[in-house]
Amino acid sequence: MGRGLVIGVVLVLATLGVAVGVVMRDTEEMGPERSGTMTVASALGGGGSLEGYSRAVAPRPFRFPEDHGPHPDFRTEWWYWTGNLETEDGRAFGYQFTVFRSALAPEKPERASAWGTRQIAMAHFTVTDVSAGRFHVTERYSRAALGLAGAEGSPFHVWVQDWDVRSEGTASTWPMHLRAQGDGVTLDLVMDEGKPPVLQGDRGLSKKGPGQGNASYYYSMTRMPSRGTVSVGGQTVSVKGESWMDREWSTSALGPDLVGWDWFALQLSDGSELMNYQLRGKDGTADPFSAGTWVPPTGESQHLTREDVKLEVLATWKSPRGGEYPSRWRVRVPKLSLDLTVTPKLENQELPVSVRYWEGAVSLEGTREGKPVQGRGYVELTGYADVARRPQDETARSRTP
Amino acid sequence: MKALLARSSLRHLAGHPWLTALSLLGIAMGVAVVVSIDLASGSALRAFEQSTDVVAGKATHQLIGGTSGLPEGVYTALKLRPDAPPAAPVVQGFVQVEGGNQRTLTLLGLDPFAEAPFRDFSTGNAVGDVGSLLTKPGTVVMGAKTARALGVKAGDTLPVMVAGLRKELHVSALLSPAQEATERALESLVISDLSTAQEVLGQQGRLTRVDLSLPGGEAQATSLRATLPPGAELVQTSGRAGTVEQMTRAFRTNLTALSLLALVVGMFLIYNTMTFSVVQRRGMLGRLRAVGVTRGELFGLVLGEALVLGVVGTTAGLLLGILMASGLVGLITRTINDLYFVVNVRRLSLEPFTLIKGLGLGLGATVLAALVPAWEAAHATPVTALRRSTEEDASHRRAPQRALLGLGLLAVSVGLLAWPTQALTPAYAGLFGVMMGTALLVPWVTEKLTLAAARPLGAMFGPLGRMAARGVTASLSRTAVALAALMVAVATTVGVGLMVSSFRGTVVAWLESALQADVFVSPPSLVARRGDSAMVPGLAEKLRATPGVAASGSIRVVHVRVGDVDTDLLAIDFAQGQQRSYRFKQGNAEDIWRQVNASPDVLLVSEPFAFHRKVRAGDTLRVSTDQGPHDFRVAGVYFDYGSDVGTVMMPRATYDRWYADRSVTGLSLYAAPGQDVDELVSRVRDRAGGEQALNVRANKVLRQTSLEVFDRTFTITQVLRLLAIGVAFVGVLSALMSLQLERAREFAVLRATGLTPGQLWGMVSLQTGLLGLLAGLFSIPLGLALAYVLVHVINQRSFGWTLQLVVAPGVVGQAMLLALVAAALAGIYPAWRMARANPAMALREE
Repeated sequence: MGRGLVIGVVLVLATLGVAVGVVMRDTEEMGPERSGTMTVASALGGGGSLEGYSRAVAPRPFRFPEDHGPHPDFRTEWWYWTGNLETEDGRAFGYQFTVFRSALAPEKPERASAWGTRQIAMAHFTVTDVSAGRFHVTERYSRAALGLAGAEGSPFHVWVQDWDVRSEGTASTWPMHLRAQGDGVTLDLVMDEGKPPVLQGDRGLSKKGPGQGNASYYYSMTRMPSRGTVSVGGQTVSVKGESWMDREWSTSALGPDLVGWDWFALQLSDGSELMNYQLRGKDGTADPFSAGTWVPPTGESQHLTREDVKLEVLATWKSPRGGEYPSRWRVRVPKLSLDLTVTPKLENQELPVSVRYWEGAVSLEGTREGKPVQGRGYVELTGYADVARRPQDETARSRTP
Repeated sequence: MKALLARSSLRHLAGHPWLTALSLLGIAMGVAVVVSIDLASGSALRAFEQSTDVVAGKATHQLIGGTSGLPEGVYTALKLRPDAPPAAPVVQGFVQVEGGNQRTLTLLGLDPFAEAPFRDFSTGNAVGDVGSLLTKPGTVVMGAKTARALGVKAGDTLPVMVAGLRKELHVSALLSPAQEATERALESLVISDLSTAQEVLGQQGRLTRVDLSLPGGEAQATSLRATLPPGAELVQTSGRAGTVEQMTRAFRTNLTALSLLALVVGMFLIYNTMTFSVVQRRGMLGRLRAVGVTRGELFGLVLGEALVLGVVGTTAGLLLGILMASGLVGLITRTINDLYFVVNVRRLSLEPFTLIKGLGLGLGATVLAALVPAWEAAHATPVTALRRSTEEDASHRRAPQRALLGLGLLAVSVGLLAWPTQALTPAYAGLFGVMMGTALLVPWVTEKLTLAAARPLGAMFGPLGRMAARGVTASLSRTAVALAALMVAVATTVGVGLMVSSFRGTVVAWLESALQADVFVSPPSLVARRGDSAMVPGLAEKLRATPGVAASGSIRVVHVRVGDVDTDLLAIDFAQGQQRSYRFKQGNAEDIWRQVNASPDVLLVSEPFAFHRKVRAGDTLRVSTDQGPHDFRVAGVYFDYGSDVGTVMMPRATYDRWYADRSVTGLSLYAAPGQDVDELVSRVRDRAGGEQALNVRANKVLRQTSLEVFDRTFTITQVLRLLAIGVAFVGVLSALMSLQLERAREFAVLRATGLTPGQLWGMVSLQTGLLGLLAGLFSIPLGLALAYVLVHVINQRSFGWTLQLVVAPGVVGQAMLLALVAAALAGIYPAWRMARANPAMALREE
């Protein structure tokens, strides 16, 4: 009798236990563990069809100030300001302010919501505080809708939220007034036109790869006298210096075998400028479409091919986040009798943003036609960090020179 | 010695397997009911909290607007400021999947560019084309699990209904977050770009809220507040999450209390079993005392037995509770959805704390119930313990003392209940006190009643009838306990049943007076009692002009913050020339309406609102309006049984003065004299066309639908009542069965002296029937008292409702039936066994 009771109780408990196990297994079932990203970068990532966009096929007439403004029919476009600034007592700063426009579709969608847009904007703002050895970086994204971000030609205005560059007055594009703040620094800068626009490549058509339309329209303002203030650590100082503005728009540019590029924008003390970009293939060699431009103090600029420019890496820097960057170069242009050593003002000017790259202020010294020459500029290095990550991603290139 | 005692215990338990099994079942069921309710309502709440947490993200503050959200300009202005804090705009609403199981999903419209500091759905893997979120209208992403449950794949189209409008969503990608909490929250979410959410939900130009991260805390919030336009309010995120907990607290407390009633019934069962086992073994206990076992050891023996029963029963109860909870969670979710807010509970969350609580309650209840029997076992002297009649004598002697004690307890309980406070604890203490007090009265009343019953029974059934009646009194020590257990169990079902029927009666009467118009029109809403969807612009005007409509009114239901708590606001456009169907708790109706019409700063509040917020006519309430917070004077308190959290009401003119929203949630149409109502319904339907799915209902139908919703919200209570009945049934069965089985020798003597098996059967049946009848009779006054306490004290203190106690004969009849059927069943087995047993065998034992 007693054994029957015990057996019965045990049986009932066991049945209940099994039933609970079944019920809970049903509800506690876990999804497969996976990792990955649904980042803005992937949302920004083009990779889509190029159909419906305008292409850079042939040289076109450039008109200013209109071409300072946006070209929404092309898939990507950027406004790129870099510059070296100094206080009265010689404290040096570098800055970069970039606005990328990216179209997600060729046609403006018919939407009832004002948030519906095909244009989005990304902006990077960096300040290199050379004497403090600090590099300040901020990244911003926004859709180009509801006045949150956008670009206008006349009067000139490019903005991402409260970061903006706009014409001081309405009558003329110049001077431009840049305002940005982030990561503890504020930059307020007024830039004059300086030297006239320089059309890069073939009359502004910059071929980046084989095939029709793999090119961009590209012009630069190579020397813009700039003055303003930098606020860092609660202290505001007046600065003066020179800026460089790159403007480029395209729909498709780079070939599929490229991993990155090294871009140089150098302002020499003799009044000339050198722009050069070297596109790197997977094997590390310079792509045939690498090119440059020499801008003399006055007069016509001169196109440089890959063969004209000899680039030699003298030192490297290992990023604490992974990847190894070249960190010192010898740049020679034999046909101009130009021999320069380019040194970063700070080793770590890497931007740890959604796509990691290095862009920083550099100083240079060397000789031009036998005479000593100094100078300063900006260098951009891409494709050295996380090379394997999304090589097909358009934003991964951040910009093509 | 210890081993000997333990063995004797086990032998005893094993020797009465049926009794042991029934008491185990009783404990198990009591514990199971408590645990299952706790788990189910806890799971519902946690599901809601989790989804709120994930949806609210890491925001410290939120920027919210009036009834129709925030103008999006507030966000852009904020974002363009130089010192803009991290901010993310959100458009949020509900969509109902068309076809299939009609699941309700939260559509969360976000700006992916502003999201990074707040939500992280990105730690998962996106499958498919995410970029189209921005460019393709109607594009959404959802959790892979949700998609699987709905049977959609990336690239599929998902048709949904939004406030009666059909929309199509395109699923572009599926998310499988690595974190389980995120994955859970995703189960009822679809995520889209802000633009799609605005379009699908019809909120162009408006945001539900803006999430902010203000690391500077209140100081930063204060300085930000100064720059905000009127109508935009900055609130702390933490404060908002709490309102959900608050909103459902009364509901959950009541469920818990009802489930505890089941445990109390279970406790009586244990008490009954333990008392029995002591009474049965008095011979053995006396012998043990005689051979030198101490009182402490005997006390420990009985308690130990109870503990063994408790452990086994509670373990079974915990397992059973989990099983029941997975069934109940659906019911509770349904109720919460009908009453409060949309919540999707897809699984049970097993909280260790709930299980530990259940274990503690089960063991505690068992030990508590066994204390008195253990004490009695310990205090029997060796000599008297050997004689049963001594015990019965003592029992009779003690009956009046116990009755007095019971009366005292009753007096204390009544005092507790009458204590003018709004706290629930004394009310519940009083409720349980009333039950205990009444139980203590049982022996004395039984004695008197059965003695009185002996004569009529004797007249009807002869000596057997008299024997049956006197048998009850003769073994009072055991019958009284069984009767008390029986009475408490049955009374509980009577009390809860009467409470529900009274509530329903009050609601029926209220609906009758509140629903005056002939035809009611509204879009389908997701929370049955809080319809807040809107009709498409222009449709209301069109329908009001339907031929055959003599007069029409409209209602707008929106959520506003009153004193920082989300509240339903009703804006009513009263039909011209029709009587206003609101009754006021106090004051002159005409006078109140005059005040309300005269000033745009006056509103009315419902009875539960007045109760919860401690508001009276003449007080001031701060209500968020589109023009910023505004102080309104409360002109009156109206009766309303639609919402247990309470509502506020104002005329449409006042609403239009303070809010920009011009939508209408529902229409009430009055038929012209001579107009056939059914014809009017179909005419209104035709006129509405297919533009928006609308519920067009005649008065009768709406009343019925409302009652259906009411009944649905009480399903869980009814289920609890049924469970309590189940426990009670087991109790009756075990109590009466053990009573009869224990009398094996007595029956054998009777058989030996010539009683036929049939006669014995008759006598046993008569006796159990008499006990059942007595228990049923006792339970009626106690049940009525419980119902009174539940309706006028517990409900009033939980929800603030004034209810009329209605005694439904059906409920009382049911209780009698329950007692009698259980009693009859309980008599069958012992009578059958006794009838078959050989009397000589039973007698040979001596």
